[in-house]
Amino acid sequence: MPSDETRALISAERAEELSEAIDACARCGYCKTGCPTHPFGGGFEAASPRAKVHFLKEQREGAAEITPEWVDRIFQCSSCERCVEVCQTDIPLVEVWEEARAALVRLGLGPMPAHKKMREFVEARNNPYNEPTEQRARWMQPHHQPTPRAEVLVFAGCTASYRMPAMIQTGVTILQRQGIPFVYAGAEEVCCASPFLRTGQTAVADRLMGSNVDLVERLGVKRIVTACAGCSKTLKKDYPGWARARGRPWGVEVVHFAELYARLIQEGRIGFTRSVQKKVTYHDPCHLGRSQRIFDEPRAILRAIPGIELVEMENHREESRCCGAGGGVKAGYPAMAAQIARDRVREAIDTGAEVLVTMCPFCQTSFGQAIQDMGAPIRLAGVDELLLEAAG
Amino acid sequence: MNEFRRELEAELGSAVTFDPQQTKAYDHDLGEMPSVLMAQIRPVPDAVLAARSPEQVASALRIAARHGVPVTPRGQASSGFGGAIPTRGGLLVDLTPMNAVLGIDPDAGTVDVQPGVVWNALSARLRHAQLDLCTCPTSAPASTVGGWFATGGVGIGSFRYGSIGEVVQEVDVAGLDGRIVTVRGPEMELHHQTCGTLGVVTALRLACRPALPLRSFAIQLEGADGVPALLREARERLDAYSIAFSSAAYLRMRAMAEEEKPAIDRGLLALVTVTEPPGSIPDLAGVLAVAAAVGGTVLPEEVARREWEDRFYPMRIKKLGPALLVGEFYVPAAAFAEACRRIESALSGDLVGIEATAVRGDRMAVLAYLVDPGAGLLFPLRMAKALLPMRIARRLGGSAYAPGLWLASETERCLGSEKFAAYRRKKVQMDPGGLLNPGKLQVTRPRWFPAASLSWAIGIGSTLAGPISRRIPSRRFPAPRPAR
Repeated sequence: MPSDETRALISAERAEELSEAIDACARCGYCKTGCPTHPFGGGFEAASPRAKVHFLKEQREGAAEITPEWVDRIFQCSSCERCVEVCQTDIPLVEVWEEARAALVRLGLGPMPAHKKMREFVEARNNPYNEPTEQRARWMQPHHQPTPRAEVLVFAGCTASYRMPAMIQTGVTILQRQGIPFVYAGAEEVCCASPFLRTGQTAVADRLMGSNVDLVERLGVKRIVTACAGCSKTLKKDYPGWARARGRPWGVEVVHFAELYARLIQEGRIGFTRSVQKKVTYHDPCHLGRSQRIFDEPRAILRAIPGIELVEMENHREESRCCGAGGGVKAGYPAMAAQIARDRVREAIDTGAEVLVTMCPFCQTSFGQAIQDMGAPIRLAGVDELLLEAAG
Repeated sequence: MNEFRRELEAELGSAVTFDPQQTKAYDHDLGEMPSVLMAQIRPVPDAVLAARSPEQVASALRIAARHGVPVTPRGQASSGFGGAIPTRGGLLVDLTPMNAVLGIDPDAGTVDVQPGVVWNALSARLRHAQLDLCTCPTSAPASTVGGWFATGGVGIGSFRYGSIGEVVQEVDVAGLDGRIVTVRGPEMELHHQTCGTLGVVTALRLACRPALPLRSFAIQLEGADGVPALLREARERLDAYSIAFSSAAYLRMRAMAEEEKPAIDRGLLALVTVTEPPGSIPDLAGVLAVAAAVGGTVLPEEVARREWEDRFYPMRIKKLGPALLVGEFYVPAAAFAEACRRIESALSGDLVGIEATAVRGDRMAVLAYLVDPGAGLLFPLRMAKALLPMRIARRLGGSAYAPGLWLASETERCLGSEKFAAYRRKKVQMDPGGLLNPGKLQVTRPRWFPAASLSWAIGIGSTLAGPISRRIPSRRFPAPRPAR
């Protein structure tokens, strides 16, 4: 039986920082009203982020016990960061949940069965989908020509590589048209570790991050470009700290394709030859928007495309709602994730837009399924796709 | 309790829970009370109803009454008076799932809502109909319409429109007999400020204002003495919508929490907000005239914009604590300056941040903040400082902001003698067994000393502890930094 100290979900490693943070909770409930998973708790307070913080404090002080129900609640979070955005006292709530999840995994009380399955897959094949490692480059099109050495590394990520290749395909096509040489590591690229960091499986995350850091060091690149919001968040936010803690080098600039396109358009390097007569609404992926503050770039790209009419959903930018897929929720709680995605699609339909566009393959997967299930009168596209269409 | 449980579950199914892990989440509100105080009550309910319809509320009340089980209605519990904390366990009715906007009447300028609707969400809905809220709390991103009505709140917009009680036109109330009745006028007023102790509000009709754009101006005053004149001038020259004040000390605390420079380094910042018909030119001359009349200075537009954007974030300063000691009270506008002086003098060992909202009728609703470490054996003693501002205000013609649980002994002063007498008559009629939100606005017997009254004990204890508590500073602050 672990000692009381090791059973504390806010672990000793980060105890001071995160304990201070949760002690500052004002109990105002701002986190509760925007939380996408709280409504799935039957309307009861215990499913709210506010109640989870209260539980963690009580658990730390020995006034509450870890139960299977609380484990479940701690994992029912899509890490959308809406709670972080509205918190009066700036508690890094998603970091708190991730820390608690990691502690639960250490105690053998987590993660959820589907998350364990993902770990088995990634341990065997370096991706959480159990797809063949040697087929990681199957998204590449015949005209895609990586070079052996370049300053830019294309990091495709698992979802784009195996499930939703359109965004990375478009991105690489645009890179080539711009004459930007790039390296691509194919089967040497491994999962960025995001699904494992979010679900507290830090041991396997450690191995994956180490492998990618080795890769970047070996290739000697200066910049990583990716089409995935989750990969770019992880490479930007988690890798520097990981590398610093282990004395490893990590001096690369991480760029999401949204940033790259916006820069190229601003510099006049992308010209448009066709008009795209479409009314579109843009969904801010949580890990791109709230996590990386990339709100303006996708809109700048859409506004630059001739013919596009951009209409905003009721909840957008910092207040955007989640697609339901993040934080291990899609794997662990598929019904919940599907309902959250359907609600967001309904919000998109309410704008009168013909096309729901986004810049994250993970969101694309969720919305694609939701649109199909609902028979919804709205099409799904990547911003990249419209950009390429207009650029001719 | 077994028979109660069986009946409740049969009638309400999964909307009700007896799971101790779920019910435990309802044993507190915004206030962080010392454990010795919490030990005097039974704050964990035995059961919780996550109510989704008026019929569910009515059924639950009827069943509770039949079994003699106390019922505590709860909104978002985003105040610290204990009004939504059970004192005898029982059934807690969580009204937050009842959050539908029932209908908007653009011609009448009214909206019908369920009690759990959140203020900011309601504002967003109203704007589609070119309407907006007359008044709302500074906790609008989370707090509920029903909760604020039950507390008796004032906030943004109260300078022009008064309290929530003046904006609500009628309410539906479920009683212990399981009936739902619509009340308005003096009958409705008895449900305002009284924490659901006469029945559970299941719907409200609110007056709305035209959704005219708002524009804020920041004026720096040398001190609080100019406040009554500023209120008069802002009313007469600008027909101001809302006026809020922040002391330099409060802004200093907030700046420290946000790691930036404070907006002012002395005096008081007044944020005057006006409504502007579309296409109209901002009345800068009017604002300058108001500032000149009170010897104030109009601050850059950026300061006003920032203060307005931050209006829902008064508790950022809690980061410095991590606890806050908060004294909340009403005081006549004419006595506001004197109240500030006396509070700062009485708590001279501490940095006291003052925030205030001007309310129609020349009243001020004031919050006095002390940042405190919130831990250690002396914490309960330091907490006595939170009651000091209210006591000072009382001597100047003011009162507690709301009685709730902890300040139940202040009920008559809060409600006024006439309303209090009518309330007591109604209470006997509606709830002779004292089942509706027991302990709120009335005597709670502490578990350790059943012969005493909890709020009286708090009053006497804090009075006795006051002189000592003042000598124990809460949080030390470094010397001020210059203003931005």
